[in-house]
Amino acid sequence: MTVGRTDLATLADEYVLGLLDAAEASAVEADMEREPGLRAAIAASRERFLPLDEGAEALPVRPGFWSQIEASLPTGVGTTASVPEPSANDNRRNGWRATAIAAIAASVILALGLAFSLMRAVEPLVVAVLVDDKGEVQAIIEDFGNEKATVRLLVDLDVPAGKTIQVWTLPSREMGPVSLGLIDNGRSVRLDGPVLPAPHDSQLYELTLEQAGGSPTGRPTGLILAKGLAKLAR
Amino acid sequence: MLMSSVPDDLASALAACANGDKNALRSIFDREASRLVAIAERIVRRRDLAEEVVQESFIRIWTHAHQYSPDRGSARGWIYAIVRNRALNLLRDSRREFSVEDVDVLRESEQVDAVMAAWHKLDRHSRLYHCLAALDETKRHGILMAYVSGYSHGEIAGRLRVPLGTAKSWIRRGLAALRECMA
Repeated sequence: MTVGRTDLATLADEYVLGLLDAAEASAVEADMEREPGLRAAIAASRERFLPLDEGAEALPVRPGFWSQIEASLPTGVGTTASVPEPSANDNRRNGWRATAIAAIAASVILALGLAFSLMRAVEPLVVAVLVDDKGEVQAIIEDFGNEKATVRLLVDLDVPAGKTIQVWTLPSREMGPVSLGLIDNGRSVRLDGPVLPAPHDSQLYELTLEQAGGSPTGRPTGLILAKGLAKLAR
Repeated sequence: MLMSSVPDDLASALAACANGDKNALRSIFDREASRLVAIAERIVRRRDLAEEVVQESFIRIWTHAHQYSPDRGSARGWIYAIVRNRALNLLRDSRREFSVEDVDVLRESEQVDAVMAAWHKLDRHSRLYHCLAALDETKRHGILMAYVSGYSHGEIAGRLRVPLGTAKSWIRRGLAALRECMA
């Protein structure tokens, strides 16, 4: 991405102030993990505005609130002793290691996806590996840039009755999120999407859970199942 | 240096959380929860929703503590950002459910006070106060409305009674002036 320093600082400020919409904010959060410059700009912006929050008048916390939080903490995350793990390599205390493994897996799958795509007659313009909030790979999207895209699901996604999976992309901040189509039976599909600008490097792709027939508002409203940024197929 | 020991304590509490120490999470709760509920309530407007935001945030602090590092800013800034982002997401979702007019009516009356209160409570000796005070009143208001109460560009334009594009460029210029002043 070619973002100037001023633009980067403005983007960071607008993100920290909450002025970006949901899709833009997700895109910034994804970019932040890869771009130290953006991460530093966001950290600086947070520190600038922090005194406004530090001045907030503390409200009394109701009794029992902590117990409620403590009871809702997931077991086995970050804990050292509470959940015995059969595996010999103990990843629990090193979250980064799980993330690194997920990232390596994503790269391998991306490489396989690219190798596979090179062997076919029609090549996608971009490939996006979609991961869930734990960093686990869920699906691959290949966008051919001719109103056609394929979605390969790599796990069984749980779709409750009356719901469907909707595929989205964010061609630009100005356009906002655009639906590429629905995955009705939880299987890999080829989608005929709307006419859009050619997909670009780092374009955001996302799967959300929506009511059957798709989002009523034309924008993502449901739970995000997986998201990822595209890479140009070279 | 009592003041500067607090952020360091939070950073070590986060490190202890990453190692599964619930007492460390409890210490963050004891120190920050009451202010975090207030910060969330300024954005989501309802105490029950604010508590929901804070509860989810503590779960996230617990599960993501290993991701904190000093290149993400101060530990306090990182913790507060988790709460702010949860609250802002809830607000974005509620904007989808209500019409714009409903949201305006709900937010208009009470939130002006919250924004002004935040401004008046801001430490007069802080750089942020000095630099915000140097801005035009409209730019200052726009920035405060967004940060303190989670107003969108459209809502700020409505309150300042200017077109959307004007509000966006005022805020951008205000933010740029603020960065320069605080650099």
